[in-house]
Amino acid sequence: MIKLSIPLLLTVCGVLLVVLFLFTIYILVQRKREIRFADVRDIFLQNSAQHWYNYLINDEIFSVVLVPRGRAQVAAIETIFSSYLKNITNEKVEHKIKEFSNLYLKKFYEKDLSSKRWSIRMNALYRIADFQIEALLDTCQQFENTKISEEEYFQLLKIYSIFQPELFIEKIEESSVNYSESEYRRLFVLLEDDVFIRLFEDFNSWTKKIQFAAIDTAAVKRNMQYIDQLKQLVTHEMPEIKIRALKGLYEIGVIDEIDPYVPFVTSDMWEIRLMVAKIFKHVPLNYTYAYLEQLLQDENWWVRSQAAKTIVEKREGIAKLQQFLESSNDLYAIEMAQETIVRKRGSK
Amino acid sequence: MNNLIITEDIMQEHEVKGYFEILRESVIRSRLTMTAVFFKVANSSQGTDIERNQVNHQISAFLKSKIRKTDLLFQLADGMHWGIFFLQSSEVEVKAFLKRIFAILTQEREFQQIELKASITEIRNNSVNFETLLDKNKHKLADDEQPTWSVEQVTDYRVQPTEQAKVSIIEQNEIFRKVLETTLKNLDIHHYTLDVSTYEDGYSFLQSDSYKTGHVHLVVMNDILPRKNGLEILHILREMPNEKKFIIYMMSERNSESATLNAYEGGVDEYIVKPFNLRLLEAKIKQTFARFWL
Repeated sequence: MIKLSIPLLLTVCGVLLVVLFLFTIYILVQRKREIRFADVRDIFLQNSAQHWYNYLINDEIFSVVLVPRGRAQVAAIETIFSSYLKNITNEKVEHKIKEFSNLYLKKFYEKDLSSKRWSIRMNALYRIADFQIEALLDTCQQFENTKISEEEYFQLLKIYSIFQPELFIEKIEESSVNYSESEYRRLFVLLEDDVFIRLFEDFNSWTKKIQFAAIDTAAVKRNMQYIDQLKQLVTHEMPEIKIRALKGLYEIGVIDEIDPYVPFVTSDMWEIRLMVAKIFKHVPLNYTYAYLEQLLQDENWWVRSQAAKTIVEKREGIAKLQQFLESSNDLYAIEMAQETIVRKRGSK
Repeated sequence: MNNLIITEDIMQEHEVKGYFEILRESVIRSRLTMTAVFFKVANSSQGTDIERNQVNHQISAFLKSKIRKTDLLFQLADGMHWGIFFLQSSEVEVKAFLKRIFAILTQEREFQQIELKASITEIRNNSVNFETLLDKNKHKLADDEQPTWSVEQVTDYRVQPTEQAKVSIIEQNEIFRKVLETTLKNLDIHHYTLDVSTYEDGYSFLQSDSYKTGHVHLVVMNDILPRKNGLEILHILREMPNEKKFIIYMMSERNSESATLNAYEGGVDEYIVKPFNLRLLEAKIKQTFARFWL
């Protein structure tokens, strides 16, 4: 058994009490600072919201009251800018936010990038991208050379994709980090059209994830400029790329000729036949009916179902399906045609 | 002084007065413009009584054959004027009608004895009474020096009354809510004053009872809202007896066909994908209000 003298115990208790007291004081001071921070932020928000509206929307002259004095006011401005950028599209507003941020917020985020706290650095990287603080591009490049996390590197790529697309492509090429498809999509969606098209030029040199993400982004952007690139990919040797390219063309919805798609009606893969049946939605029925009738008698249920849907959506679709019912011997196709007609009539 | 020549088979001035009062009030309630046209024979002093009688019958029969089933033709008590109330028609349509019938009258031989002049009054408010309308138009057509086939205009009743419209903005983001409020308060819509209210969630909007009135009510709301979301509010408003009074604009971050389709099928008037241009929103609202009046 350990013997402890009473004076020693009293000393330990005294020390612990002092530590506890100091810790309580620290917490109280921190809490006070937080409350004060929130107060200053909210007051600035309340007082400046109308000034910001007048400056950003009504084109009134810039007022010095908008210039932040301290962190709390920067936080208020972040809230205001984020609200505008998230809800309003207006080139003038975006330009003013960019101009202001490059002038008055730069020094705050520059300092944040050297913070020891990851969350502060990440917030700065997000804001640099959102408010387009191009003046911090060099700082960002220096920041890249320090020990940074994968998330920070991802944000840096986003920043490069906005300010220096060349550098972005370079970084993607040499990148040691392997992002997911969805992460690549998030990066590609920010690219300008000409830079994005350049991704397709070196298509075969990219990893599969980048290739898939590029095709899917083209579909999401729904830009007619990407049709040629996607059309080239429908003959790609890899089935997954073919299917995604067909899906992309379906999403864009502009089909100027059907010849490139006709061979896929007899493809070995049902997913490809399904996509063709979908693509034919965007073409008049008199050009596609013969192929759709063939797809209506497909061995796969999804293909038959899509072919019937594509036919019935057209003006003369129901009549065509009824004609088919009278002449066909394929029981599965007949059943699908009947079901589709009933469903169409029910929805009218 | 000419003898009065009254055509028996069309309505007469005294019979029409009651109808006019109903039609005039209906102009305000249904926001459909009505236009009155008055005709006068330009060569009324020429010919014998029998000839004038024949011409009058011919004019009545001709006008009767040219009007639509919704138009009301009548002859004035003096026997020299005819009137037509064109329901749901603006001055533009009526001018086209006059151009058409005047062309027929001048070109076809069977109508060579007929010479007319006309006066148009577009009615978009209820501050006019029947007698004043008649007097003003008769006065316009009184000048014998006026050329035949001329068309005069009474413009005193063409300004529609200013109406109050309610606007409710339901948006969670305080800054953007304020932006929308300021924008809509500053929006100048002809003949409407906007009474703008803001709500941060669906529940507070429903609690406000502001939607239980007969005013035209523009609701600009987000699809996703705390407590009661936009689609629930849409459903509630479209189930109400006064649902036609609501113009519902839904804002959403979802730019998908299915979300858009779902919103339109649920009854929204406009589906706006965020971020959007405020000027575009203003233009859409102005256009929506402009469509209220024919």
